[in-house]
Amino acid sequence: MTGFTSAGEFLDGRTPTVRPSQASLDAARGMLIIACGDDTHEWPLDQIRAVPDQAGQDILVLRRADDPVERLILPDRALLSSLPKPYKRVRAVDGWRILRWASAALCSVALIIFVLVPVMADQLARFIPPEGERALGEVTLEQIRAALDETGMRPIPECRHPEGRAVLDSMIARLTRNSDPLPEITVHVLDHELVNAFALPGGHVVLFEGLIDTAERPEELAAVIAHEIGHVVSRDPTRHALRSAGSIGVLGLIFGDFAGGALVLFLAERLIDAHYSQDAEAAADAFAQEMLIRAEVRPDALADMFERFRAMGGDAEGIVAHFMAHPTLGDRIENARGATPPGFPETRLMNEDDWQTLRRICR
Amino acid sequence: MPPAACTTARGARITTRPFGHIGLTQDTPSENLPGPWSRARGLDHEEAAPRPAPAPGFGERLTGDDPDVLRTSFIGRRLRLFWLVLKSGFLTVLTLGIYRFWMKTRIRRWFWSAIRPGGHPLEYVGDPFEKLLGFLFAVVILAFYIGIVNLLLMFVSFAVLNGNVAAYILSFVGVIPLWFFAQYRARRYVLARTRWRGLRFGLEPGAWGYAFRALGYWALTLLSGGLLWPLMTFRLEQYKSDRTFFGAARLRQGGRWTMLYGAMKPLFLGAGLGLAAAGMIALGFAGWGSTIALCAGLTLFYGLFHYRVESLKRLTATKRLAGARLELQARPWRILWITVFGYGLTALALLVPMVAIGIALSAMLGESVMTLSPQDLSLNDLGGAVLIALSLMLYFGVFLMWSAASHALVTVPTLQHYASGLVIRGAESLNGVHQRARDAHTEAEGFADALDVGASL
Ligand SMILES: [Zn+2]
Repeated sequence: MTGFTSAGEFLDGRTPTVRPSQASLDAARGMLIIACGDDTHEWPLDQIRAVPDQAGQDILVLRRADDPVERLILPDRALLSSLPKPYKRVRAVDGWRILRWASAALCSVALIIFVLVPVMADQLARFIPPEGERALGEVTLEQIRAALDETGMRPIPECRHPEGRAVLDSMIARLTRNSDPLPEITVHVLDHELVNAFALPGGHVVLFEGLIDTAERPEELAAVIAHEIGHVVSRDPTRHALRSAGSIGVLGLIFGDFAGGALVLFLAERLIDAHYSQDAEAAADAFAQEMLIRAEVRPDALADMFERFRAMGGDAEGIVAHFMAHPTLGDRIENARGATPPGFPETRLMNEDDWQTLRRICR
Repeated sequence: MPPAACTTARGARITTRPFGHIGLTQDTPSENLPGPWSRARGLDHEEAAPRPAPAPGFGERLTGDDPDVLRTSFIGRRLRLFWLVLKSGFLTVLTLGIYRFWMKTRIRRWFWSAIRPGGHPLEYVGDPFEKLLGFLFAVVILAFYIGIVNLLLMFVSFAVLNGNVAAYILSFVGVIPLWFFAQYRARRYVLARTRWRGLRFGLEPGAWGYAFRALGYWALTLLSGGLLWPLMTFRLEQYKSDRTFFGAARLRQGGRWTMLYGAMKPLFLGAGLGLAAAGMIALGFAGWGSTIALCAGLTLFYGLFHYRVESLKRLTATKRLAGARLELQARPWRILWITVFGYGLTALALLVPMVAIGIALSAMLGESVMTLSPQDLSLNDLGGAVLIALSLMLYFGVFLMWSAASHALVTVPTLQHYASGLVIRGAESLNGVHQRARDAHTEAEGFADALDVGASL
């Protein structure tokens, strides 16, 4: 396109005066010559950039990559095709600087989520009074009930069939009868097919109906409850709740509103898959074995339950995180098998009728 | 504008009238219009064909006869913006939110360039990398604050107050001053990256001063039951205006706060009707009472728009910039209509992703009932994964559609209405203004972005 020439308006970026000018293309020298009264400006073509994302496609606003303020406004967009790099980025920020700050941000977030928040949560968890813990647990339970509901209409219901409930209560009474003094324990059954159980702050233990269906003997169910009571006693859920309060806020900050919205929802659901440390799980297992022995139940019921989870494989969604995913599940099974003292009397927790009543607690 | 016309190569004298076309007709191709810019595109034959002498008047239609009075036009097609928002929103989702800095920059460039006071577009020169940097900067500072403060608040509310509500209220109250601070900082960044006719705008530092004043005036407004609202509106606007620059020229907010009471008339009327309705209901006339209550509600709803638009008009009319005066013509009813109708249409637009996903979902469910047996665990898992994918798609689809449609159907017409009513009188005096230095503003609007400070633009 030789011989391009066009009227234009030149803005020198020193005053707001709009200076009418004549722009012409000097293809041989690769220059755009902007004649404006007494001054002439020469813009190298490869330095000319079109100001992007313009709403009005009737005009063309041009700038120099190496000058922040000068602008040339042309009345049509014909020149665009003669510019070699009209949309190449104009560098405004040093890449290394971004990299430095990005690593600083990453470090500070990692430090906060993995060190500061856990340490503070562990310290603070000791000082929450029991009433505070119970309130925290109740709020979390409501959130989980609402999060698990698929219809979006109402939280999933708790199962309160009176006869089944009575059997469950007497089973818990038998479990805790001979143990050391415990915080107040409340066992909830949720009407949901997940094969899962978890503990919440303030002594709330939550069982899903799917777990009761999967257990083949009352002793297996009792073993899971005893394991969760073990978490309650060592205050694992309280620490976990405090940690996630800190971490979720930070993650929401990083991912912004809309990707972040989904992420926070996702994390809220993950709350129930409490990932405790291996030590915490081992301690809860040990507590459960002790509790079962004192209640005259063979502690290898826990091993039976673990094996059932393992056999369920991929279908045991909720339980995966809690029991299955641990690489040490085999060890834990073996440990529970070995916990039975020789000559331990085999006593049943309840008769078959009561067990069937308990299994109908949601109906 | 000064008669600083220069003589072109051909000797044709070009007037200093800027190009651009008048207001509301969107996307009119300029080559059809007569005027200095109506030259044909046959550039190859440039030398051979004598160019028609530029007819004066193209720019005049915008500026009028008087170069001292500049009117503002708004040029831009909604559909283009719709696609821009949809496309960049999609990229934002794909990049887990990182592209949002580019999205924001591109949308702002579009809106800024659509507004042409005196025929010359505003330019937004903010840079996405700069925003990314500002965001990282804010993360370093705020991650600490948010992580630790959230944790402490949760602890305090459960240890001392036994409730979660207290934590929410506390963390909300704790963030309010920071929110005003971030709002001012974001305004400073945006103004520093806005140009018109080559000159930078600017805002002096003063974010904490703004935050404390905002807190104080909000408290006064709430304590006075809304009677001192005009005081808050005026003083906060004055604080911002008096620190705003165009080039080296400082903007000045004149007038008095009491001048805004006129804008509150419909709100007072609505409040009066509300009292009357409460009285009627108390006296046992429930039927009449509820009718009047409905009227009161509608009047108050309109009153909010009326106050917003009328106070903006009054505040604009009393601003001065280097001898130039501003004037804003806008109609509350028009803004009310745009908002109600625009959001109504946007809600309808949401049906598109919902119906699409709904069809996909029902097709999938129908198929799984027919072909998958419950024992077939792997296939069931596959179904579950597809289900999760579909619900994620629904979530993002609705979100994308909402932001694209509300930009195109609410923000564009609102801005168009305000922009085309903006007049600069005494514009000749602006020619004496000089450029201001660049405001580096390292943190950009990182705090505002991290704290999600309202503004959609
Ligand atoms: Zn466990």
